[in-house]
Parts: sequence; C-alpha cells; structure tokens
Amino acid sequence: MWGGLDAAPQKGRGMRRGSMEERQTDAGASIVFANVTKRFGAHTVIHGLTRTVRGGCITAVTGINGSGKSTFLKLAAHLIMPEEGAVHVAIDGEEVRRAALRAKIALVTPELRFYARLTAWENLAFVLGARGKKLTKEGYEALLGRVGLAREKTGGMRVEGYSTGMRQRLKLAALFGTDARIWLLDEPGANLDEAGREMVRAEARAAAGRGTLVLWATNDAGEEAEADETIRLAGHLPRLS
Amino acid sequence: MKPSAWQGICLVFRKELTAGLRFRAAWAAMLMFALTTLACASMALQGGSLEPRMQAALLWIILFFASMAGADRVFADESTAGTLLTLRVYGASQAVLLGKLCYTFFLLLVLAAFTVPLFLVFLDVTVKEPLVLLGAVLLGTGGIAAAGTLIAALTTDASTHSGLFSVLMLPVILPVFLPAISLTASSFGADGAGSPYLGAMALYDAILAVGASVLFDSLWYED
Repeated sequence: MWGGLDAAPQKGRGMRRGSMEERQTDAGASIVFANVTKRFGAHTVIHGLTRTVRGGCITAVTGINGSGKSTFLKLAAHLIMPEEGAVHVAIDGEEVRRAALRAKIALVTPELRFYARLTAWENLAFVLGARGKKLTKEGYEALLGRVGLAREKTGGMRVEGYSTGMRQRLKLAALFGTDARIWLLDEPGANLDEAGREMVRAEARAAAGRGTLVLWATNDAGEEAEADETIRLAGHLPRLS
Repeated sequence: MKPSAWQGICLVFRKELTAGLRFRAAWAAMLMFALTTLACASMALQGGSLEPRMQAALLWIILFFASMAGADRVFADESTAGTLLTLRVYGASQAVLLGKLCYTFFLLLVLAAFTVPLFLVFLDVTVKEPLVLLGAVLLGTGGIAAAGTLIAALTTDASTHSGLFSVLMLPVILPVFLPAISLTASSFGADGAGSPYLGAMALYDAILAVGASVLFDSLWYED
C-alpha cells in the first residue's frame, strides 16, 4: 500500500517583483514537470507531478523526509530521469539538455563533495575553469571571502581539514562563482551558523532578482518563509502496518 | 563562456595529477607490485635466462597487473569520495574522459619507465631493437589506458567493481596485449612480428579511444 499525494503549490510570502503571470514569457529560465512519476524499485517517490517553475523568484520545495525533495532537484537537473512524464528545462525560450543544461545549473546538496586533497582555491579553479571562468588571484580571494573562507581564516589548508560548515561554504562559493541561470539548493543552510544562513537567503534573493531560477528544498521555516512560492511534496511512503 | 576542449582536458589532467601526487597510494601500489614481481622473478631464475617470448610475456604480465592496481581507480575513487556528482555537474563529458585517459596514460608511462629498465637489468635481457620495444610499450600502455578508462567508467556504479573490471578488461585488451608481447619478443631477438603489428596496435588504440569517446556521452548524461 502506498499513501500520500503530490505537489500542492502554495504562495509563500508573495511575489516581491511582480506576479508569476507577469513572468510567463520566453525570457529567463523555466523548468516544466509534465506528469512526472519517479520510482526507485517498487517505491514511488513522485507520482503524476505537473508543475512549472520559473526564473526570477525563489521556489521552496518542502515535505517530510523521504517525500522526494532531493529527487525533485535531481529531476530538474536531469541527473536522474522520470519513469513517466518529462522534465523540460528551457533557457530564454529554448529547451536545453545534456551539456547545454549542465552548463546552466549549479547545485548545492549534501551529496556534493569537493576534492579533499585540494585547497579551496584549487577546487574553485577546477569547477569554475570547467565552466570556462578564470578568475584572478584577487577574484578567488574575493569569492572565498564572500562566503567567509578568506585565506587569513583557512591558511590555505586543504579541504580535508575543513569543518562541515566550511565545506558547505565552499559549495556556496562555487555556486556564486559560476553565474549559473538555475540554482538547485538542497538544504543550503545546513551546517551553517545564523550568519551563514542569512548570507544564503540574501544571495538567493539577489540571484532571483537577476532572473535566476532558484529552487530550494528545505524544511527550515525561515528558508520557506523567504520563498516566493512553495511546492509541498507529500510523497508516497510505505505504510508501516 | 564555454572552455575549449583542450582547456577542459588540461584542467582534469592537472586536477588528477595534483590529487594523485598528494595521495600517492595508486602510484605506490603500482610501483611496489612491479618491483616485488620483478624481484621474485629474478630470484627464482637464479641467473638463468628465459626465451625471448617468455621474457616478453613476463614483462607484459607485470605491466598489466601493476596497471590494474591503479588504473581501475580513476572513476571508482571519485565515486567513493563523493566527488563524482561534482564532476558530473561541472565537468564536460569529453574533457572528463580524455583528461582521465591522459592521466592514466601518463601513470602507465611512469610505470613502464620504472619497470622496463629494472626488468632488463634484473633478468639480464638484451634489447636488439630498442625502437620496436619503445613502440610496443607506448602503444601497449596507450591501449591499456584507453580500455581501462572506459571500463572503469562503465563499472563505477557496479557493486562488484573490481571483479567486473577485470572480467571486462581481458577481452577488450587482448588485441593490444598479444601484439605487444610479439613485438616485445621481437625486440628481444625472437623471429616474427614487425612494423605491421605496430600499425595494427595503433589502429586498435585509436578505435578504443574513439569508441570510448562515443560511448561516454551516454554514460555521462542521463537525458
């Protein structure tokens, strides 16, 4: 037996820069979930989900553990594909897939790891370089300083010596540095102190203001309140009895 | 801005080299395997000598199994460390494949540069055709690198990674392995193989590299 229902979109604290309807144009990024069903073995995590997410606002994805929040983000990034339905990602009205899609997304998830034997600077040089961005030494310092990982604080040590909070900040530095059009954030405030969580909220708001599509999986009331709209996933969890 | 293919390959190669030099476990495992096997073979022979074909076969057995101690880890290490997702999100498929292939080839060249001279000294082997030996080593290690990188990518998510890697590697690498042994034997003074084998090995290496490149996109992108 499987229970639960799927997405129940709700408005969050409201559109700060115009309604969603005003943004229903070809400009910017959009992700369309068309009757999407995702299963892992016999376990249906998402069933028949139809939803459109657009750039220029923060969309929170909420739900209990196992409800499919992380799966939702992976589907959006085409890191996994649905068993039924389709996920269409478009940038400025043109559908993007494969390498073109990957070049437009940035991800912060608990599963994402950076190279432990490299320094923060070397990790950033690698991921930003792979996106065709090369910063000056001052540019890297500024980016690391922006997330609280300035050289004076870390001493240029390798990532293997970082705390979980510092590793989370490094993921955020890569996110901010890539100029991605789609931000997929899974519990981005996890392991951060209050100042760090406030930084994430401010950066996400600024990115949405630039037209970035910000999709934010969270169970944190503060992060959910920051969102312009919310998708609640109830999931399809197996009953225990 | 999209980086050029060459810039992407160099980035991946440099990342692999930096991380590899700081850890060195793969390097140490390969070189120690080669050294131990050479020492055992040398002591077992007690000054006796082998036929050129046996010498060549022994050399390639050492190179092949020593390379297995390091070359199969190129994607499995990323998976274990959790960095495979980072690579998938930020790295372009061809840059990742070719960067890792170049690094594996470099690793195997270092292994060969370490093993072959020691082999010649320990087993008292005289090389009659050094250029043929050089060609066989370059093309043989190139083939192992190309096949190893592709099969490592294919088996990354398999629960029985190491076993599957070895099983799949054998049939793919045989067309490189057998001519490499014949050519090496020829360079040690045996009759037979010559330049046509070099051409065939180069062709097979190219087919492996192109095949890996074509297949890799379907592994890297789900859609």
